[in-house]
Amino acid sequence: MKLYKKEGNILQVLSFPNETVEKGDYLLVDDVEAGKALIAQIIDVQFASIPGVLEELLRSLPDGGEIMQGEDFDPLQIAPYITYIQDASLLVCKIRATVEKDSLSPSSAWLPSRSQSIIKKLPIPTLFKLAKIDGKLPIVIGGTKDSSLLTIDASHLDGKLNIITGKKETGKSHLSKLLMINLVGYRATVVVFDLNGEYISLGMTSDGKRNAHYDKIHVLTPGQNFKTALRQLNLHVLLGILIHALHLPGTSAREFRRIWQSLRDRDMLNLHELGEAIRNWNCNQHVRDALSSRYHALINTGFFTDNAAEATLLEDCLYKAKEHGGAVIINLRNTSTIDRQIVVEYVLGKLVEQLTSWKLKATFLFAEEAHLYLRETYWDDIVTRMRHFGIFTTFITNQPDTIKENIYRQADNIFLFNFTNEHDLDVVSRAARVDAETVKLIARDLPPHHCLTLGKVVKDFPMVVKIKALDVRTMGETRLFFTDTS
Amino acid sequence: MVIEQYTIATTPKYNFPQPSIDTTLPQRFIEQSIRSLKHVQNQSFQLNQQAFQQADNIELHAHTFHLKMQPIILRSNHEETPIAACDTSTIKVGETSRGMLIAVRGANVWKHRKNYKYTRLGPFIFHITEENKREVYETLEKAYFLSAHKQDQNSVNLFQNPTRIASLLERWLQATLSGTMHDGLVLFDGSLTAGTADTPAGRLKQILTNARECRNIVLAFSKMTNLRVNGYLITDVSLQQRDPLLLETAGLRPKPPIILLGEVYVARLCHGNYAFRMDIDKENSTERRIEGVEKLLGNDILTQGYPETLRLAHILCTFTANEVIAMQYFIARKYGLRIINRPDMHKLLFGPYGRGESYS
Repeated sequence: MKLYKKEGNILQVLSFPNETVEKGDYLLVDDVEAGKALIAQIIDVQFASIPGVLEELLRSLPDGGEIMQGEDFDPLQIAPYITYIQDASLLVCKIRATVEKDSLSPSSAWLPSRSQSIIKKLPIPTLFKLAKIDGKLPIVIGGTKDSSLLTIDASHLDGKLNIITGKKETGKSHLSKLLMINLVGYRATVVVFDLNGEYISLGMTSDGKRNAHYDKIHVLTPGQNFKTALRQLNLHVLLGILIHALHLPGTSAREFRRIWQSLRDRDMLNLHELGEAIRNWNCNQHVRDALSSRYHALINTGFFTDNAAEATLLEDCLYKAKEHGGAVIINLRNTSTIDRQIVVEYVLGKLVEQLTSWKLKATFLFAEEAHLYLRETYWDDIVTRMRHFGIFTTFITNQPDTIKENIYRQADNIFLFNFTNEHDLDVVSRAARVDAETVKLIARDLPPHHCLTLGKVVKDFPMVVKIKALDVRTMGETRLFFTDTS
Repeated sequence: MVIEQYTIATTPKYNFPQPSIDTTLPQRFIEQSIRSLKHVQNQSFQLNQQAFQQADNIELHAHTFHLKMQPIILRSNHEETPIAACDTSTIKVGETSRGMLIAVRGANVWKHRKNYKYTRLGPFIFHITEENKREVYETLEKAYFLSAHKQDQNSVNLFQNPTRIASLLERWLQATLSGTMHDGLVLFDGSLTAGTADTPAGRLKQILTNARECRNIVLAFSKMTNLRVNGYLITDVSLQQRDPLLLETAGLRPKPPIILLGEVYVARLCHGNYAFRMDIDKENSTERRIEGVEKLLGNDILTQGYPETLRLAHILCTFTANEVIAMQYFIARKYGLRIINRPDMHKLLFGPYGRGESYS
């Protein structure tokens, strides 16, 4: 390999066919005399612009577009050299760091010698060693191209905002399950908004047996094993549901607050009494109607109950998870949009309540397709306010444009699966921790189950990794019509 | 049941007319190529690329020369006729302190029914110096034409040598085609002018004789000509008649020792203003010459009035920049030559006003 050009932090390296390198690989451009080396990542592989190649290709096809039949008598065996030159490639690389005396700096301000520099592929384990990508709480997320394992540190997910994105069926949920299980393994508390019921069998192996995590997976299905009694609710949680999920106007909310206080003072906080109080409350008819319609919406969810035995305490599950590590899966499958929003408002309200009172230390929140249940104002809340309470969110989506730009800008780690659509790649490339070229050029060629890992977990050295297989019962498969005929 | 298997032997050589040259692969070219390159090992060489134009238009001065203005109107003859063409190309690959490195390649193309096929020979790389230029050329000449043409090789400029070696290969290819194909058309690039240093009269005569013995007609196309009538190039003469047609020339008397072995025509073989000088073996009757051109019209594609078979031969032997880079790489790797970048003195002295090639 030969150094050809350097423009800004882009290097162009000439490579020959016997040098097998691919997109995503790292190169070490070692200038021995300068005592420094550049670490650059290949972000694109192009044909080198060899003069005369077009003529060469054109003349092989003059016979009506078919390859012309013939015999070449090439006594000096020059043809292999012609092919060798013709197949030379140009590696477009992004400079990631400079190595000087075994220490890394993000500088790309110096110019290595074009003639003297030795360019070689940098083995991933060596890069890990140089960049100190390891940690006390290792999570093996998969294998890199040269078969070494990519191990990230769980502490680099702690207090961080993560995004897992990619088009459908590329393995996003698989990775989120992997991260989740490993976090649980380190006794972390994890809450999952499970839109499609994909996580409910995480406690089972693929052949249906209980696995090591069985006792740590708590699946809560709203209306079934997940109900709440009004007595267990704080007023501000319920007001959050009424205002944000059911769009109760401010005036009506004020009246509701009075009703609630009145019932609480009389120790009559139950659904029946609440309904009666609304019906008999001395207020404007429009306010009464507004409150009445919201009341019936709450009743219809089936999520609220007066039966204390039926009510599952979310707090109990969170405490169990706090003690031994565990995941609380909120199964939102088969719930309507409004019900989903009510449940999410309730869970988030409860989490904040628990965290502010220091009953919980911190929680990792995994939110799949959050735009389907998260209200507009919560996005900013989650990345700013809730982070300080100790809610560390991982968004999982196949529609990257549903996540706001400021979320990408503040994301600490991005796990990017394949995208072919330019628009999707444009959105993701707004992330602050990565350059747009890397995202666009590498992500579009990622095979299924391969992920471009960006951010703090890889010390800002973007890494392509094949996500390791997980022995859990998968539930996220698409239901098909033609299954019997295949 | 036993299937009867006929013993199929290769066609004995004596079935073909015996040409006076060897039609086996040009072993001497390889030997001379390797031998000359061995002398250049571990030297340094300056990258340089320059295509040599073969001197295929040795023009003649004749005051009596004129064009017969009555054109010969041509009709396509679709009788199935094999067509073959050959061409060679040479290029300077680089310079050494003692001489230069050149590459030569030749191509035969033939059309049978609707398909074109080719045989390409080379590239042969030679290191030509003042000391070995005679040896290289004469060895090749003796090997293929049994005798060396009597000419003082030392008087030949070193820079003429590449085209002379390419001409030698081209004549050998022409001889091979003329003597092995039957009842076909053999297309040459250039003219049927003989008696020059590159083309001794006897050699071209022998090629044409072999062609006639095999009932082939030789048609030679010149892409450029300097022949003029009343000050105008013969290919610029405009006519009212519809193409395709031939215009005969008369009164062309070359200066000795140059001789013309072909009748010179102006050929306009398709619509549009594309005319070429065409030489046809003059030992053929006028009718047979015209029959040859009409068979060409009926059997080959003539885009811009130029036969596709000959165009392909040219395309296949021409060196592309990519190939030159590969050859330079081959020489550097195989013979340990160090590539140096000698500055261009024109550029060095006159900056942007300097002419010449830039080797950067």
